[in-house]
Amino acid sequence: MRWETQRLEKAKQIIKMYPQKRSALGPLLYLAQDKDGYISNESIVEISSLVGITEVQVQSVASFYSMYKQEPTGKYLLSVCKSISCEISNSSEVIESVKEFTGLSNNETDDQNLFTYESVECIGACGGAPAVQVNYETIEGLTPDKAIDLCSWLKETEPKVIVADELQEKFGGVKSFDWAIEDNTGTSSPVPGFQTYDTLKEKK
Amino acid sequence: MSDKVTFTVDGKQLEGKQGQLLIEACEESGIHIPRFCWHKRLDPVGMCRMCLVEIDTPRGKALVPSCTTQITDELSVETESEVVKKAQEGVLEFLLINHPLDCPICDKAGECPLQDQTMAYGPGESRFIEEKRHFEKPIPISDIVLLDRERCILCARCTRFSEEISGDPLIEFIQRGNKTQVNTFPDEPFKSYFSGNTVQICPVGALTATSYRFKARPWDLKKVSSTCNCCSLGCSVELNVSQNKMLRILGEDNEYTNQGWLSDKGRYNFEYLHSTNRLLSIHSKENENFENINISEANEKITKKIQELGNPDIKFIIGANSTNEEYFVINKFANLLNRNEFLGKDNSNVYFADDHISNGYFGDQYENATFEDLDSSDAIVVWAEDIKDNLPVLYLRIKKAVKNGVKLVIFGHTNTALESLADLYIGSEVISNNFEIQKELSNIKELKNIINGKKVTTIIGKSTPLQQKKSLDTLIDYLQKVSDLKILNCFSKANTFGALQQIDQLKGLNEFCTEYENSKKNIVFTIGANPVNASFFGSQIKDILQEADYVISLDIFKNETTELANLILPTTAFGEKEGTITNMEMRVMKQNKILPDPGSTLSEWEYLVMIAKSLGEDINYENVSEINNELVSQYKTTVNLPTFDNLNKPSNLFGILHEKEINLNTNDVEKNNISLLMVKRLYGDSSTQINSQSISMLGSERFIELNSITLNKYGIQSNVATLTQGSASFFVNIKINNFLPDNLVIAPINRRGFEKLDPTKEFDIKETKNMKELSVN
Ligand code: SF4
Ligand code: FES
Ligand code: FES
Repeated sequence: MRWETQRLEKAKQIIKMYPQKRSALGPLLYLAQDKDGYISNESIVEISSLVGITEVQVQSVASFYSMYKQEPTGKYLLSVCKSISCEISNSSEVIESVKEFTGLSNNETDDQNLFTYESVECIGACGGAPAVQVNYETIEGLTPDKAIDLCSWLKETEPKVIVADELQEKFGGVKSFDWAIEDNTGTSSPVPGFQTYDTLKEKK
Repeated sequence: MSDKVTFTVDGKQLEGKQGQLLIEACEESGIHIPRFCWHKRLDPVGMCRMCLVEIDTPRGKALVPSCTTQITDELSVETESEVVKKAQEGVLEFLLINHPLDCPICDKAGECPLQDQTMAYGPGESRFIEEKRHFEKPIPISDIVLLDRERCILCARCTRFSEEISGDPLIEFIQRGNKTQVNTFPDEPFKSYFSGNTVQICPVGALTATSYRFKARPWDLKKVSSTCNCCSLGCSVELNVSQNKMLRILGEDNEYTNQGWLSDKGRYNFEYLHSTNRLLSIHSKENENFENINISEANEKITKKIQELGNPDIKFIIGANSTNEEYFVINKFANLLNRNEFLGKDNSNVYFADDHISNGYFGDQYENATFEDLDSSDAIVVWAEDIKDNLPVLYLRIKKAVKNGVKLVIFGHTNTALESLADLYIGSEVISNNFEIQKELSNIKELKNIINGKKVTTIIGKSTPLQQKKSLDTLIDYLQKVSDLKILNCFSKANTFGALQQIDQLKGLNEFCTEYENSKKNIVFTIGANPVNASFFGSQIKDILQEADYVISLDIFKNETTELANLILPTTAFGEKEGTITNMEMRVMKQNKILPDPGSTLSEWEYLVMIAKSLGEDINYENVSEINNELVSQYKTTVNLPTFDNLNKPSNLFGILHEKEINLNTNDVEKNNISLLMVKRLYGDSSTQINSQSISMLGSERFIELNSITLNKYGIQSNVATLTQGSASFFVNIKINNFLPDNLVIAPINRRGFEKLDPTKEFDIKETKNMKELSVN
């Protein structure tokens, strides 16, 4: 499927921010991921013609980074940190509880397309370990119980927008530091909610 | 500051150039450092770490990759220390972890850098007992190249080639870590004119070619250097033969011409040599049917015919695949028949079967260029037939020059493939659809900025046979006035320049048609030429050959022209004959014989010498080096002549530049209103290609190219259509090319059936509604 006009417009805006078209590849891939929950081949074709490199060159980048998904994710992508700082702060139990609640093992998506579970390497929140991300919005200082609360809350309320601050408030514990993100409006898809992509504003 | 650098390797003092890479500087001094990813014609990446050496740094000794380290004064390097050895063993152990070691069934075994370097530098035994990674073996990544990802050692030579050199990056690394692999995008095959080069430079057997798979072991191959004859660039090649069969052609690194690369046409267009369709015996037409006769019968027939016809007019149509020696004899023979007692004329009677030739720019007023000039000039100006399709490796040379900062100006409308490289593309605002310049060139500011007062090399020739020479003259006059100009005459076919050098006065098929007189008795020789197909004058020539009193064709395959002959003499082909050929720069290079003459074929010159003898004429050559000796004695200079002996010397392996006076006598086509632009594509329906199994289908797609405005005018929505002209009608695929001007439609001339199209007549394009019709076709 071709990209809708609005998405194409956004893509063109992003491309304009870079001296060379191909430098816009990173953010454009997130636009693609916002569309389908993963980077589809159709989107790769679209991006290739937008930035003027071949499809396989786009695919090369898209398949190199683990945050670009090659398969559809559920509505909520749960990334639980398994690296050292979290591990010594009991992340393995957090991991167990999330796995148990969702019934998923690594890189699996449930039949309802609600959750995708993955365990990941350090997400840069060591000071607030153990940490979890929902659609790349970070919650720190979790306990195994809080993690289950988080998951059931997501399942029951199915929020459209995931906002880190809100989840931190509800389910988090000790925070490492203030992330100081001005525009903390959250994200509506498994795409980091940075201003550049601005995927949220149109949706709101 | 001097650009010499002195450094020490293994205790020896060496010299190199400032900025040179350590691995290269060592190589030049005879010290070989093992490597996989580094290739002299590619940018270094430091991927494989096989080239690690130990150097002294302010913080002590350190291991560095020599392919990414530049030499500096007083650099001290160890290439064989214990540490280096350990590193090499380690690197090889890593590389072998996932390598399948299926050498016994691998094409590369025996000439495999991984195999060889494991022997020379490897640990000697394996500690690896785990499972190796697995991939489907092998997957086709194009019609001619297969990829075995298990064997791949991820050196990025192939991907760098496709990005840096050929500019069609359709293969890339995908995935990461243990899953990293080379691949194409789904349904986007590695469709490149240059894909075979990746097979040649792959340091393992990961990339293989369909034509060579499982055909031979490298140590059984007989090898000889030669020069490719697919276009007039003069690529140096190595011919690989086993059991008298040509099995492979490799590119040799000739600094002057191909720099190691080949087009896939040059590389894979050889299987025809052993095709069962080859002409292997003499055919004589008796009552509409061809019968086999022997050589003395044939000789008798020709002599009798010439005598019987009294005072026949004898004309020669020659192709581009003969050697200089053959042209030399053809010229002698043609002169002789002109002067002998039956004939009175002293007009030239040799016609060249390529409509693109024009009188060109030769002689004292012009300075002719070599390919080296492309690199050393400030700007390159191209106005010629499609370079990428007709002189593919010249396209690589242009691309390289542009990469190094040379400016590129392209004049439309055939070289749209070069547009993306160009600093200035001059299209329909200046050039009409008839290829006339319709604007004062000095008024084009952008052009002025690029060329005024600069060193300019121009690649110039007719873009289409219908282009008038005076439009080229306008450009040349202008360039000569404002810049320091060197000229490469762009005639693209094989040994065109050899023919120009050897034939006293060469004319075109246009002249053949106008000079042919029906009222006379006529004998026509066609030598390695098929003018009935693929010429603007094809149908006219067909009529002439049908009418002529006797037609003798020398060729390697039956074709549209030999069908009309009374006598067909089978000749030897590439690899079966020895001789010299001359490339676009007038570089004379050697073609070598490595295959025996098949069947009862003879070289063109052998037939002509034989016929001359029986006519009582004295052309007497025992072998081809005799001809070569006589031929070189007619060159202007006397030093370093391109004799066989001389060309076989290592220092001259890559050719000797030699000019000779050139006398071309061609006129423009009068009727030159172009409606359909017929251009030659790299792949087509030539008898050599369709008889080479691996590439036979590559030129079968019938298509037209046009811009979207023109497409809209015809009201076509889909990507297929019907092209009709008179009684001819073809289903064609549509390719949008928005660099073409409005109302100009391109069709490839070398497609089956397309010879029926007349580029000057009206045609129509209609929507094809029924896709089924396409498959019926
Ligand atoms: S396929 Fe061959 S050339 Fe390409 S990366 Fe693998 S080993 Fe290197
Ligand atoms: S180890 Fe988990 S956030 Fe760094
Ligand atoms: S040759 Fe130097 S790292 Fe591969």
